[in-house]
Amino acid sequence: MITTAPAHLAPSARDRIRWAAQDTLTMLWRDMIRTARQPELLVFSVVMGVFFLVLFNYVFGGAIGSGAGVDYLQFLVPGVFVITALQGAQQTSMGFATDLSEGVTDRFRSLPMSQVAVIAGRTIADAARNLVGLVLVALLALVMGYRFDSAQGAIAAILLTTAVGFGFSWLGAAIAAKVRQPDMVGMLSMFWLFPLMLASTAFTPADSMPGWLQPFATYQPISVAADAVRGLCEGTPASTDIILAAGWTIGLLVVFVPLSVRLYRNGA
Amino acid sequence: MSDSNAMIVTNGLTKHFGDVVAAEDVTLSARRGEVLGLLGPNGAGKTTVVKMLTTLIPIDRGNATVAGFDVDRNPEQVRRLIGLAGQAAAVDEKLTARENLELFARLYKLPRQRRHARIDELVERFDMGTFADRAASTYSGGQRRRLDIAAALVADPLALFLDEPTTGLDPRSRAEVWNSVRELAAAGTAILLTTQYLDEADQLADQILVIDQGRTVAAGTPEQLKAEVGRDVLEIHVPDDTDLALAQNLLASVAGVLIDPDRRQVDLPITSGAAQSLDVLRQLDDTGVTIDDFQLRRPTLDDVFLALTGSPTTPTEEVRR
Repeated sequence: MITTAPAHLAPSARDRIRWAAQDTLTMLWRDMIRTARQPELLVFSVVMGVFFLVLFNYVFGGAIGSGAGVDYLQFLVPGVFVITALQGAQQTSMGFATDLSEGVTDRFRSLPMSQVAVIAGRTIADAARNLVGLVLVALLALVMGYRFDSAQGAIAAILLTTAVGFGFSWLGAAIAAKVRQPDMVGMLSMFWLFPLMLASTAFTPADSMPGWLQPFATYQPISVAADAVRGLCEGTPASTDIILAAGWTIGLLVVFVPLSVRLYRNGA
Repeated sequence: MSDSNAMIVTNGLTKHFGDVVAAEDVTLSARRGEVLGLLGPNGAGKTTVVKMLTTLIPIDRGNATVAGFDVDRNPEQVRRLIGLAGQAAAVDEKLTARENLELFARLYKLPRQRRHARIDELVERFDMGTFADRAASTYSGGQRRRLDIAAALVADPLALFLDEPTTGLDPRSRAEVWNSVRELAAAGTAILLTTQYLDEADQLADQILVIDQGRTVAAGTPEQLKAEVGRDVLEIHVPDDTDLALAQNLLASVAGVLIDPDRRQVDLPITSGAAQSLDVLRQLDDTGVTIDDFQLRRPTLDDVFLALTGSPTTPTEEVRR
């Protein structure tokens, strides 16, 4: 017998936790190999951020910046970070849906492994890719003339953004586990991605929006994350924003970790 | 479990998807070293049975055990003892064969020191040396199927589930899969094999369950199933369509006659042996039908399937080679 515990015994709670950790590392190993073999995914994960950075700065920058009386690039870059992380979460959704449609996950479900590991491996690998993508976006921003207040601030901003993206990755995984067809997942992402992205303080301050939109645009997760990241970049970290962003991230994890695992496990 | 050799056992296994009956009251059993063939056309419910037995979908009614463990109540124990390959499972396309095997070996919790030896063993045994370090997305159908079966064997399963393992394979790859199945059974693995190829079930299975629209229509050894149909078949080949038309006219009234225009072949059930055969051949000759070839043979599973389901094996023929 090659199993670590005798086959006639049900695994104990300790076994389960150990296996979950061990299997997550295994799946992370697998997903990192896959990530390394698909460098185009890194390109896709930064392309939206790069577009927004370049277009918004050079197309809308003059109009928005002069109206608000600020340097628009300084306002824009932290928002673009958060958008990039959101795009990474959308890639988790697409990637996991592809996995599900290819049938390799059916083999995973027939194996004596922790099922949360299948999703955790992917979301962690995607967070690592996101981190690289964010560094690339930050380098481009520097070239365009953006200035961080300090290196520590920049690192903290990128780490917080990665954490928020990790929370959204689990939301993306839950959608993929429910819907399963990659093209459908792609269509659906328009419905959650764009409202969160555009009705937020990522690109414009909330006080420039109509009154009925302001409460949503101020407190939705992308906005609080953008505000928190902006504070870190500028050297004026606001603890309320950071706590709200962390709260949203934890909230996403609390809801979508169990939900995505349940949807994945029950799928035919 | 009274019979400690019974590895895969189901009783009244049932699964409905809405109004669709995917499996109804399927009862089967496979012992150590035995190959159980689940035979049926596309959509007969074969994959549904495999998915229930491998814990992929819940069972609606009835029960199933693998190596004595209840599939519904002890799925984790069951997962440690089974291997799954074929239509119902896949490999990671972006990974090489070695990486795929390593992935599954780790997930089966094979100790590190055994892992590499086991992977080398499987690469050698399934002759994957030439492509084991290329991504699976570059493989031919036969290569991918070899990896697929090797992946199911990583942890030496007691019960192996092969879901249409040769569908879409060329004859050579098919023969390789057949050899592997025979070797594994000889080594004591209980194997449940689904197939829509009658000759495959005939070749490999010790016991056959014929299913159609989720229901068992016959069960037994290949010999028993053939005996159940009972009659010998006179198989006549004619050189062209004119001869076939003449033969068809002459024999249309005989019960159970089967005409295959593509092969220009007439299959005629024979109830009274040589005398009747000679009589039929003489009549054909008198009518002026040229006969290329004829033989009196035992019924094949094709004949069995026709007799049992009342319809020719059309769903099978369409997708066949």
